[in-house]
Amino acid sequence: MFRVSEVLTYLEFARVGFVNILAYRLRYYTGVLTYSINVAVYYFIWKAIYAHSSEIEGFDLSDMITYVAMGWVVRSFYFNNIDHDLAVQVMEGKIAMDLIKPVNAQLMYVSEAMGESCFRLFMLSLPTLVVLSLVFPLKGPADWRLLPAFFASVVLAFFLVALVNFLVGTCAIRLKSVLGLLRAKHFLIEILSGLLIPISFFPGWAQRLMDFLPFQFIAYGPLLIYLGKRDAAGVARTLALQLLWVGILFLLGHLWWRSSIRKLAVHGG
Amino acid sequence: MAMMVQVQDLAKEFRTFRRREGVWGAFQNLFVREYQTVKAVDGISFDIAPGEMVGYIGPNGAGKSTTVKMLTGILVPTRGVVYANGFVPYRDRLRYTKTIGVVFGQRTQLWWDIAVIESLKLLRKIYDVSWRDFQERLEHFDQLLRLKDYLNTPVRKLSLGERMRCDLVAALLHRPKLLFLDEPTIGLDIVAKKNIREFLKEINRRDQTTVLLTTHDLSDIEELCQRIMVIDHGRLLYDGRLQAFKEQLGRWKQVKFFLKDRGDFAELESLFAGDTLQCERLDDLTARILFLRDQVSSAEVIKKVLSRLEVRDIAIEEESIEEIVKNIYQKRNPKL
Repeated sequence: MFRVSEVLTYLEFARVGFVNILAYRLRYYTGVLTYSINVAVYYFIWKAIYAHSSEIEGFDLSDMITYVAMGWVVRSFYFNNIDHDLAVQVMEGKIAMDLIKPVNAQLMYVSEAMGESCFRLFMLSLPTLVVLSLVFPLKGPADWRLLPAFFASVVLAFFLVALVNFLVGTCAIRLKSVLGLLRAKHFLIEILSGLLIPISFFPGWAQRLMDFLPFQFIAYGPLLIYLGKRDAAGVARTLALQLLWVGILFLLGHLWWRSSIRKLAVHGG
Repeated sequence: MAMMVQVQDLAKEFRTFRRREGVWGAFQNLFVREYQTVKAVDGISFDIAPGEMVGYIGPNGAGKSTTVKMLTGILVPTRGVVYANGFVPYRDRLRYTKTIGVVFGQRTQLWWDIAVIESLKLLRKIYDVSWRDFQERLEHFDQLLRLKDYLNTPVRKLSLGERMRCDLVAALLHRPKLLFLDEPTIGLDIVAKKNIREFLKEINRRDQTTVLLTTHDLSDIEELCQRIMVIDHGRLLYDGRLQAFKEQLGRWKQVKFFLKDRGDFAELESLFAGDTLQCERLDDLTARILFLRDQVSSAEVIKKVLSRLEVRDIAIEEESIEEIVKNIYQKRNPKL
């Protein structure tokens, strides 16, 4: 489907994403602190909750602390701003500059975000991991042999977030003002991804509903692999479903973008 | 010869949401929306031959940019036919944009926070330009625009003139056959303008690049284009040679006389008393005679004056394109 030179072009977008964010590297010194504070807050909340029970839904306190801490480390990698960037491009009329380039916009945005995420891996994720493991009693991976599967799962989580953000950001073309929508999506993903509370803590009906959605594979899926709460079949199933959702969201984003730009209205100038 | 651009009955309508005023109006807006249709471009047709440089002018909101956006594949026309370089722009956008160059003077297509050269290297990949061609073209562009000094500067730190040069280079890196320029000299000083005009002339001469240029600065047009199109309210008012435009539509001509003596003006005035032409005093020693070009010729005016007076000097001026264009707009909108 793609020629080699095209793949190289999108790798180049990733490189530009990486270089671009260098301009803002100062932001990341404070990033480590903010993420650590977030984890500290959840640490104390969960500690208070676990004062009355040693285990909830198969999680003991040290599982829970590791879950939360690794959750934020993973989040620092998969996070991206594609939705917001796209909304701003549309509001400021800069979307025209994306359309005069002979490139697939979806791949361009996702590739640039990938470059940024690689940058954050070194500037944010790893430093945060080091700080957190010094301050909190974190567990190592349950099974070192599953580590590659965990990494693969985190990378797929990045693609899930990026593709969801692209879909939501594209709504700006039709809706014009989407900042409210973006906020709603932000909180929804924090909750439905399992970042704040493991999915197994939700009521049964909610869990069944979430089985039909991609969001639990953003944080909950990879984290259970790390904690060793999935057997080999479970790991394979998680990765397969992540891949399936990446495929579905890619296709949806492609179609949604294509139909949306036909409705584009860039006034004035 | 196949046309580079073919446009037939092209139109673009926008549906805009009309906001009601006041608190009650805002409340109503939540539930019932009133829309109105704006005809930004209202059925225009033209062709552009390969190698032509065409100036596209019109007042703000006349439909220039909307036309360019349809020609570059950004906007989908409401109706009409558009072919450019063998493509239907909005339908074959990815393949089509690979063959054209676009500069929007108010925006940049370069990445804001990285060095110019990084952006150019990325564009090289996007447009499949070989490394050798890339080096060679950059060298050539450098000779014409002197880029080397700021190739390593991030775009956000460039002056407007520098940024515009970089955007031109970005648009021409893959040597497109067809170039769209939307206000390429807006906000630039005279030196930068001159530099960019020379550059465009050279590109057009060397590569036979077809150029469509919108501008507010009519001296751009006078320097670069032999053909102009005038648009207002979404309709083409004129499409033809710039020279013919001046001859057909420039109604006035003027002759300035630099007099020898202050008293000469009264004499001059009496010469033309009762004629349709206007005689004005600009200062003590300068007089201007304005006349309709189809009624009198400048030769007749000069002959008549010289038969009675001795003058220091004479200057003949034609109505500038600015004035002609203003007249056309005013004729259409008497309220202006």
